[in-house]
Amino acid sequence: MIGLIMKDILVMRKLMKSYLLLIVIYIILAYLDFFDYSFIITFVQIILAVMPISAFAYDELAKWDRYAMSLPLGRSKVVGARYLFVLALTLFTVAMGLAGTALLYLAHQVDPLEMFVTLMVSTAIGLLLPTILLPLSYKLGAERARPYLYAIVFIPVIAFVLLVKAEIIDFSALNRLNGLSPTAILGGSTLLPLAGLAGLAVSYLISCRVAAGKEY
Amino acid sequence: MTNCIEIKGLSKSYGDFALKNINLTLPGGSILGLIGENGAGKTTTIKCILNLIRRDAGEISLLGYDNVREERLAKQDIGLVLDECFFHDTLRPLDVGKVLAPAYKNWDGDLFQSYLDKFGLPEKKLIKEFSRGMKMKLSLSAALAHRPKLLILDEATAGLDPVVRDEILDEFLGFISDEDHAILMSSHITSDLEKVADYIAYIHRGEVVLSGARDAILDSYGRVGCTAAQLETIDPGDVLRTRKGAFGCEALVANRAAFARKYPMLLVERTTLEDIMLFVGKGEAK
Repeated sequence: MIGLIMKDILVMRKLMKSYLLLIVIYIILAYLDFFDYSFIITFVQIILAVMPISAFAYDELAKWDRYAMSLPLGRSKVVGARYLFVLALTLFTVAMGLAGTALLYLAHQVDPLEMFVTLMVSTAIGLLLPTILLPLSYKLGAERARPYLYAIVFIPVIAFVLLVKAEIIDFSALNRLNGLSPTAILGGSTLLPLAGLAGLAVSYLISCRVAAGKEY
Repeated sequence: MTNCIEIKGLSKSYGDFALKNINLTLPGGSILGLIGENGAGKTTTIKCILNLIRRDAGEISLLGYDNVREERLAKQDIGLVLDECFFHDTLRPLDVGKVLAPAYKNWDGDLFQSYLDKFGLPEKKLIKEFSRGMKMKLSLSAALAHRPKLLILDEATAGLDPVVRDEILDEFLGFISDEDHAILMSSHITSDLEKVADYIAYIHRGEVVLSGARDAILDSYGRVGCTAAQLETIDPGDVLRTRKGAFGCEALVANRAAFARKYPMLLVERTTLEDIMLFVGKGEAK
């Protein structure tokens, strides 16, 4: 399994280096007040969503799956390696986010709680995408699963905008959050990525089932 | 001596195509050549062996292990070279070693390196810059580096020039010098199999139509060249298949010596695996 995670990293090392460089540049730009910190968070989300799908696309190009399933690992471990890759990415991006938070707090005295909450929310959203897309990619392949990525991203956004315009969503309800204690906000926001991880675990089980029934 | 592969009654149906009751045995210390036209069922058989597809019926034993229930144990001792190089273009041979080492208990990094050196593969060059021959040599290096007992090769020599093919065939012969080792090799290049295979199995439309020791097949089978009128005089029971062309007729016979004794006026020659394939694939029964 370690070998397969290593494979994903090695195959995408150039891409990962480029993303890393961009994150560092954005952190510097945020530090210099050219960018808002939330922009970096959004970027991190995109990385989390795109990297596992890119890994599938690279595998499809090399027809790797047939070879991987021929290794003495078993199908669940091959699937598990892809999920561990997502977890490794999540850990890495959260670590980068926390480092950015610390840096901006020390340099600009910005509210660390707000930044932390943003990071946790974005991590949960970042986990949600692979949670849905990985089983789809196992079922349909990377190319055919790609339209679902756009659907997952754009349909909720469009629906949200329409609901706001139709005044169905009332933002004033959010003001009640101001009444919450920092500890409650901290605790609540930490639960979000944990819920994301639970969703990822369910997604893993579904992917294992899909892979077990698939012919390579 | 243990059989490295035992296939009994293997069947798999796709609706428009089916593998029907495949029975094959590969003893240790030997090479079994699997021949057949495109779409005849060679790759489907190999996929069933590797448990990449679900069989409808039958049993497959690999090195004494059931290929489904004990899949991981069996695969620890299997080296695999398929018709394409499955390693990503952005990897280097050095990376391939890092990826595969944790998967195999017996992975030998030094052995892998020695194969890279032997085949002249630069360890830090990107695979996308490799020729087809280099990619196949890399696949073979990866397949041999965990000291497997069984090599499964699906069209591994296809598209390679004769020099590279010869080099790789030599490697196969070296591999089976150990009595515990065996190779299952599917190939369209029947001349390669005539060089190295001990046993031949010919799959035609999902069925094994010919199976046996290579020498016995090549020593026994014969090709008769004759006119249409001469062909008419031959007893249908004495020929397996016939081919009629603009310049004459040909017939495939199972027992060359017996045929020559019965029909001394007809010339019967040694045949090749390719001839047999052509007779079965394009010829007709008399």
